Amino acid sequence: MNAALLLLPAVLILAAGFLYPVALLGRISLNRTSDIGAMEPDLTLATFEKVVGDDFTWELAWNTATLAAGSALAATALALPVVLLIRAAPPRWRGLLSLMAIAPLLVSGTARIVGWLAILGDQGLINAALEGLGLATEPLRLINNLTGVRIGLTESLMPYACLVLIAGLGRLDPRLEEAAATLGATRTKTFLRVTLPLAAPALLAAFLLTFVLGVSAFITPRLMGGGRVFVIATEIFDLALETVDWPAAAALAMLLLGALAVALVLRTALTRSARA
Amino acid sequence: MTHLRLEGLTRRFPGAAHPAVDGVSLQLPKGALLALLGPSGCGKTTTLRMIAGLEVPDGGRVLVAGQDVTALPPHRRNMGVVFQSYALFPHMTAAANVAFGLEMRGIGRAERRARVDEALALVGLSDLALRKPRQLSGGQQQRVALARALAIRPDLLLLDEPLSALDAKLREGVRDEIRALQQRVGATTVFVTHDQTEALAMADLVAVMNEGRVEQLGAPEEVFERPATRFVATFVGRAARLPGKVEGPGVVRCGEVALRFSPSPVHGGGPGWGDAAGTTVELFIRPHHIRPLVEGQPADNVLDAQVLRRTFTGDVVALECATPAGTLLAELHGGTRGASAAVGSRLRLGFAAQDVRVFPA
Amino acid sequence: MRPGWVLRLLAFCGYALLLAPVIVVAIISFSAGDFLTFPPPGFSTRWYEALFANGQLMAALQRSAILASVVAVIALLAGMPAAYAIARLRFPGRDAIAMLIAAPLLLPTLVLGLALLLALQPLKLAATWPGLVLAHSMVALPFAVRIMTTAFGAVPKEVEEAAWTLGATPARAALRITLPIAAPGAAAAGALCFLVSFDETVISLFLVGPRLSTLPVEMFRYVETRTDPLVAALAMALIGVALAVVLLVERLVGFNRALGRG
Repeated sequence: MNAALLLLPAVLILAAGFLYPVALLGRISLNRTSDIGAMEPDLTLATFEKVVGDDFTWELAWNTATLAAGSALAATALALPVVLLIRAAPPRWRGLLSLMAIAPLLVSGTARIVGWLAILGDQGLINAALEGLGLATEPLRLINNLTGVRIGLTESLMPYACLVLIAGLGRLDPRLEEAAATLGATRTKTFLRVTLPLAAPALLAAFLLTFVLGVSAFITPRLMGGGRVFVIATEIFDLALETVDWPAAAALAMLLLGALAVALVLRTALTRSARA
Repeated sequence: MTHLRLEGLTRRFPGAAHPAVDGVSLQLPKGALLALLGPSGCGKTTTLRMIAGLEVPDGGRVLVAGQDVTALPPHRRNMGVVFQSYALFPHMTAAANVAFGLEMRGIGRAERRARVDEALALVGLSDLALRKPRQLSGGQQQRVALARALAIRPDLLLLDEPLSALDAKLREGVRDEIRALQQRVGATTVFVTHDQTEALAMADLVAVMNEGRVEQLGAPEEVFERPATRFVATFVGRAARLPGKVEGPGVVRCGEVALRFSPSPVHGGGPGWGDAAGTTVELFIRPHHIRPLVEGQPADNVLDAQVLRRTFTGDVVALECATPAGTLLAELHGGTRGASAAVGSRLRLGFAAQDVRVFPA
Repeated sequence: MRPGWVLRLLAFCGYALLLAPVIVVAIISFSAGDFLTFPPPGFSTRWYEALFANGQLMAALQRSAILASVVAVIALLAGMPAAYAIARLRFPGRDAIAMLIAAPLLLPTLVLGLALLLALQPLKLAATWPGLVLAHSMVALPFAVRIMTTAFGAVPKEVEEAAWTLGATPARAALRITLPIAAPGAAAAGALCFLVSFDETVISLFLVGPRLSTLPVEMFRYVETRTDPLVAALAMALIGVALAVVLLVERLVGFNRALGRG
């Protein structure tokens, strides 16, 4: 059978829906925006200069990076006990437990945010509980700000961290910990001296993946931030659809892609050196 | 009449140091069963796959009934193949599996039915026609695979280790069944195995393969009794191996004694080679050729022996004996003379000059 | 080794965070109140009734279902032959093609959405069915190819070879033998592609128009402006579809294998 013929439909879809648009994105980032806001064909780095020279871009980049790093760290840290439990569970429970950890990945992000609004909102679960316990008279502001975005992003990144950790820790022989226990190590010692060092490469991989996903997250910052939290992704969206400054949106998107490419290369290098 | 003919069949896998199959040539008469026998990695399965068209040779030809099929893809060759894993179609019933080849040949529904019934009856599975493969035992699956291969009335029947997935207990019965079936339908057959007992019991012709080459092609008795090369002598059957040096025509010195052998036309060193005095050689003597002698009984070769170890395996007693020529292994049937010899007891062992095989060391 | 109580407690916290939003949405969708108040002041099905009575949302639901079905079919039709080639055939550039097909998953959907907008707008394909179908097929395709490559790879080569020796051409053997054996994988791939399209929000935000909007986009906009339990009822519709797909995929091929990265 002819491989080229079999691949043709898939390649056509990718060429029209992926390669051409992404190439065009790169091309448009080299155009200019005129004073009246119209796009003018050009081959210039002027838009990049404008974007890079703007302090707001750097503020956004800092916001984005710290938000993503914090949430990725939290997601990885919370995913570790979940995955360790899955690994220690009897085989018949393992499937269900890992399904519960990964399935949220397939639930629409917006739907999960509705849940968070009901939990974190002024009349939500947390504030109702705090008020009921007499711990607060004023509702705690947990949505429409950075805190809400952090919580929502952490949760949305966790399934990815679980996925990476399940793959990474699944290869570790559970008898290693049993061996440590027979040698007299306590649970804490076993965890610190055996489990954690062995899990380190998987943890690093999980952190880097969730960081990259966090950097480009859009729905959570937009909806949990209530329009008050600004990151690179929301800025690209606004430039493209509100301001309709396509060259600027394209340039910022290209810079984001560049940063992600660097992160990807770094990740490959780090996981390779961790394995070696 | 030659039905299958292989001419210099060669296959090199990319990156491998040696060819997997290296110039294999042989001929097989119509209706005969050929066993390709050898250790794993000897190229026997690759040879079978080239006959089936599943592997493209780098050199050489495959001829069936005088026709060169080397360039034909497998689906145009008409060969019934039974794979090691049986490779039954898991989503089809036994009957549908058997019918598949007939359907591909565009055979009409009525005839297809008749031939499926016939093939399933042949292997004794008529009652299980509507079962799916996973509802069948290993032995039954194997028979479906055989029926499927036979239903297309193949020019050649090719069997790749068909017994290896079966329990040891089943194997012997199935082996005899396959042989009987093959003779009944008269299918010219090539059979791949690493088990010498299987090969010797079933085949009309045995090709012993090693490192991609055919070391010896012959009838089972011939391969067993007159191994052509040192490899064949080692691989097929067991033998005591003694190092020695040629003293003259038909005489070799082994340790402290001179042993006599009859130089045969086939051995590893070429014609006349064993006559040259001083040549270092290795002697092979089969355990069943060695027999205990009574006092004064003559033999070509006589050795004083002391029993070192005695192993009872049911019908046969194996005696490992120290002799002036080296350690010898004798196999005696229970109840025969010498079979009850205890460890440490002394025996006189004798064997004929014609049963000694000599190969270059 | 049995997990200790510290690990159990931490893992419970992890699961709580993972599952809390879905559980809370399920409860609050039956709220009798007017806002996203938790615990709800009472229970009723009024918001489901409101959802079914909402013509705009129901139209979007119908549109999303049709779009997702079309995308699933296209992704399977294009993805299965490609997966077969990658799993079974040897040809130059095989690894490069496999990487190319997986590449859309490496890019943020936001960037893909922007790129598609820039490409489709000048062609007058933005806010059209063909534009949406192309965009969604492109994101769904990597999933279809990945699952089907695994599914085809799991069919023993010998079974296909057996079909050849019985007289089937390679194409016929692939259609009659390999494809039916890989059918559970194909069903799982179809279900997952359906879900990927049905849930796809970010790319759609760039490509929908006033008269052609999808359910996730409608929901996104609803959450941006209002917060009442209607949106929870709406979220339940999406969660229900996701749950059905998850169970189907788990049953057919195992979830870890479908999404796993290694």
